[in-house]
Order: sequence, then structure tokens, then C-alpha cells
Amino acid sequence: MTPNPSDPQGEVEVEAEAEAETTEPDPLADFAASIAEAVGAASHSTEYETIKIFVEPDAWVDAVTKARDEFDLAFFSWLSAVDWANEVSVGDGPQEEVEERYEVMCALGDLTDGNLVIFSTSLDKEAPTIDSLVDVFQGAAWHERESHEMFGIDFSGNPDLSPLYLPDAFTGHPLRKSYPLLSREVKPWPGKVDVEDMPPSSQNPEA
Amino acid sequence: MVIEQDTTFQISEVAVSVEIETPDMTLNIGPQHPSTHGVLRLIAKVDGEKVTDVKPVIGYMHRGYEKLAEVRTYPQITSIVNRIDWVSGFANEIPFIVAAERLMGVEAPERAQWVRLVLSEMARISSHLIFMASYPLELGAATPLFFALRARERVLDLLESVTGGRFHPNFNRIGGIKPVYGSGPTTKKTSMDVPAGFLAETRDAMDKVLGTCREIEDLVAGNEIFLARTKGIGVLPVEVGADYGVSGPNLRASGTDFDLRKKADYLPYDQFDFDVAVGENGDCYDRWLVRLQEIREAVKIIQQAIDGLPSGPIQAKVPKVIKVPKGETYVRAENPKGEMGYHLISEGGSGPYRLKIRSASFSNISMLAWILEGAIIPDIIAIMGSLDFVLGDVDR
Repeated sequence: MTPNPSDPQGEVEVEAEAEAETTEPDPLADFAASIAEAVGAASHSTEYETIKIFVEPDAWVDAVTKARDEFDLAFFSWLSAVDWANEVSVGDGPQEEVEERYEVMCALGDLTDGNLVIFSTSLDKEAPTIDSLVDVFQGAAWHERESHEMFGIDFSGNPDLSPLYLPDAFTGHPLRKSYPLLSREVKPWPGKVDVEDMPPSSQNPEA
Repeated sequence: MVIEQDTTFQISEVAVSVEIETPDMTLNIGPQHPSTHGVLRLIAKVDGEKVTDVKPVIGYMHRGYEKLAEVRTYPQITSIVNRIDWVSGFANEIPFIVAAERLMGVEAPERAQWVRLVLSEMARISSHLIFMASYPLELGAATPLFFALRARERVLDLLESVTGGRFHPNFNRIGGIKPVYGSGPTTKKTSMDVPAGFLAETRDAMDKVLGTCREIEDLVAGNEIFLARTKGIGVLPVEVGADYGVSGPNLRASGTDFDLRKKADYLPYDQFDFDVAVGENGDCYDRWLVRLQEIREAVKIIQQAIDGLPSGPIQAKVPKVIKVPKGETYVRAENPKGEMGYHLISEGGSGPYRLKIRSASFSNISMLAWILEGAIIPDIIAIMGSLDFVLGDVDR
């Protein structure tokens, strides 16, 4: 491996995986494909051993219900969101231009084979609203409250979207990419500089 | 003097003819309460002794790690993540490091993976021993605490001798583990990872831990009061647990044998012979018993691992400046508290674009309202204690 960051190691990996898929059967890909077909998903991915099923927002509740009932994915692992933005006020932005959207993800597992499937859907940034999963999984209630306060996504049907972590008077949605990290605005992060060498010592004369 | 029994008054004749009205009362527990293991607040509606509704209030410990991770580099994040569940800090690092390694296409050498595995199991022992200490204490028995903490101290000493930290080891590196300070650069194949005498001391300490398990079992498992407080209390069916995302020992106590050490490949657990502790009834007693059994199984794993610890390098070749290629993956691990996972999304930078942290305690206590409804007030403490949560793991 080279230290050159522009070296497309990831792509090589993916190509190698894709080749393997054509030559020998891949249970992960087959499983993902069968779920995607059953829930009518637009596409799916099994990159890096993670099954992702992309569904339309309208089919969100139906897809998750079907996965629970027909594929035995009855373990509610987590639900969260990602703010895809080209302009970010913290951290590094995406290298290539991305479509501006909120991605909502919900991970379901089973209690027999150890499969885990992540359902994903994209929401418009202007009006991020999606049907709640509380009638399918009761555990979704807290996760949706968290996503509501952190990203400002509305989950219609969730009876309680009051703040979970943040104080009542807090304004803004902290995990949005447009939300600055105030301590970084005041003082730049000293850790950005690469670490210094260890001081020389009797035990470690080379450093 | 002979006291004659008054026969004119018979208890059986007394019948309660009026319905006693007990208006609902609101009972506030916490956030500063010893049984909440930190700062959890419960707003309970009680009808007499009976709990009719509970509203847990969390967030007092929220530190915003998901946001902080976005402004840090990958090597810096290990120091954040081992503060999530501070009782088993080491185990928190593993899924994050494995996620980053998977995206980079790097795999840690075998020896590094085995050392990770040994220390993860030590974290499990120390976490479960804290439970063995605190749970009987919450039910009124102080003595097991001394047995449990004495054994835990030995395990923490071992952890400290390898990593330098008792609680926050910050020991894993992408592609390997930290060498002992002064043992030379990591590129040398002879880098030291565990200090001299570690294996012998571990063997000794593991025997002591098994002895402590026996002592605790003798002391607690047959205790009438403990049994009365825990047997049949707070029963959680598997279906409800799965519905809320309850995982780990809390779910296995209800009768499922789901254990990510057997189902996922984040560490080479498939090379070890161990059993998954499973309960039957899903009550507080089973949750206690499953954890006691898990300590014994963890000892079994550690004994096998130090007997067969492979030699070799402890660091795979990685670039000096860690940049993770574009991609996303979810890696989960069986932590002492349950399923701990990181959904890592990289856009090719030196830090993650988004790091979703799935912590076990958050899901485990999200069902508090369900399980406490209909319980009586003293059982609130018994049930909460048996769930073994840590507020840092709830609030992240």
C-alpha cells in the first residue's frame, strides 16, 4: 500500500469483489438481491460486507415491515440519518459532488444467522418528512427522536418527537453539515497538526 | 397471667367495604441517584406502590461524539470511542478500528488480533465484575462488592500493564496495536506488545477470577432475599427485546443464543472453544446468572488465547497519514453490554464524513417504559440494576 491518498485502493478492492461475484456464488449478494426484489427496491449494494437496500420514501414502512415479516429481520438495531451536503462547516466535505439530500437509514438484523440489512431512503432537503416506524418497531421511537433533533427530519406518526439529548431551549440541528462546531470556530483544533516525535530517552535512543 | 384470646373479634369478619382511593402520584427518580449508574432521570407515575407509567429522561451525559468524530482524524477517534462505555473502554475501540481497516483493505496481523481478543475479553470480565459488585449492593447486599472489585482490580492491572490505561486504553492502531513504549519502531518485526511476565500473570489472575465467581455464586445465588427480589421480576420476552433492539446478556437471558462472537468475524473467535451463556426466564435473576456465566466463558477464551498466542508482527503496513478510501460499512461487535456498532462513511478524507455510533445501552434502556409498567416501586431498582447500563453508553 502506498501513502499516496489519490491511489484508488478502494476501487481496486471493489473490482476484485465484483470479479469474485461472477465466478462463484456469493451468499451475501444473493440474500441482498432477494430482499431487494421482495421489497421492490430500486437498487442494493453489498460493498464492504454491508448490505444496503435503497427504497423510495413512499415504500419505507412497507419495506421494513416486509423485511421483518418475511425475512425474519425482527431485531431492530438502529435508525439514523446522514446529511449529504457539498458545503460543510465542519470536517472534510465530499471529494466529488453529491446530490444534496438527507439519507435515512434503518438497520435490521435477525437472531439466527447474524444477517444485518440496512434500509436506506433519500429525503428532500426542503421538506424532510417520512412516515414513522413506531408501529413496526417500538424501538424506533427513541432513534427517530434523536434523528429529529439532530437533523430536523420529521417522522409523521411518531407521537413524541420532543428533544431526547438536547436541552429544551436548544435551537438548530447539530448533526447537519451546515451546523458549525462552536469550539472550533473560536479556536482551531490543535490536533490537526501531525504529532511530534517522541522525546529521546535512554530506552528509545532512535527517536 | 394468662391472656385469653379475644374470640369476639374475628379477622375474617372484617371486610373492606370502601374502595380506597389512591390518586396517581408522580415520583421523580434521579438524575442524581445511586441506582441510576450516572445521570438518568425517571419520571414515574405511581398508583400506590404500583408503577403505571414511566418516562425516562436522558441526555445529561450527551457529549456529541458523532459530531466530534467528523472533525477528527481516524487515529484520534480511538481516544473518543473508548469513553463511550467507560467500564469496558477497550472493547469500544474494536468495531471502529475494524470498520476503518475494512474500508482501507488492511487486516491486522494475527498476533495483533489475538491480543485485541484477549484484552476485549478482559474488558468483558471487568465490566461484568462491576455488575457483580453493584447489583447485589443495590438490593442491599454489600459484601459481594468486595469480592468482585478485588478480582476486577487484578484484571485492570493486567490491562494497564499492556495498554497503559485502566479505563481508556487507546491501544488499537489502524492495522495493528500499540507497541510497548521504548520497544522500537513499529516497522520492526520485533516490537514488543505485551510486557514480560504478562502471560504468567494472566494465568494466575484468571484462576483468581474463577475463584471469585465461585465465591460470588456461593454468596448470592442461594440468598433468599436476593432470589425473592430477582426471580420472576422484570421478565423480558425475546420478541419484545428484539423489537426494542435490546442485545447482549439482557437478550440472551431471555432464551436466545444470539452472540455476535459466534456470528460476526470482527475478531477470530471462531478459533476458540466457548459456550454462549443462555438464560431461560428472562427475569432479573437470569440476567445476573448469564453475566456470571459469561465471566467464566471469557476466562476460558483468555486461557486458550494465552496458551496459543501466535508470534509475529503486530502492525500491518499502513500509510503514515491515514486516509480512508471512499465507502461505507457497518461493523458491529459483541460488547459486554450488547451490540456495539459503527456505521462509518468515508469520503476519502483524513476523518470520517459521518460516524453513526450504535451503542448497546441506548437500545437496552429504550424499553424501560415497557418493562417498568406494572412493576412495584422497589422493583424499579431491581430491574434497572439488572439491565447493567452505563450512561456514557446511553448518551454518547
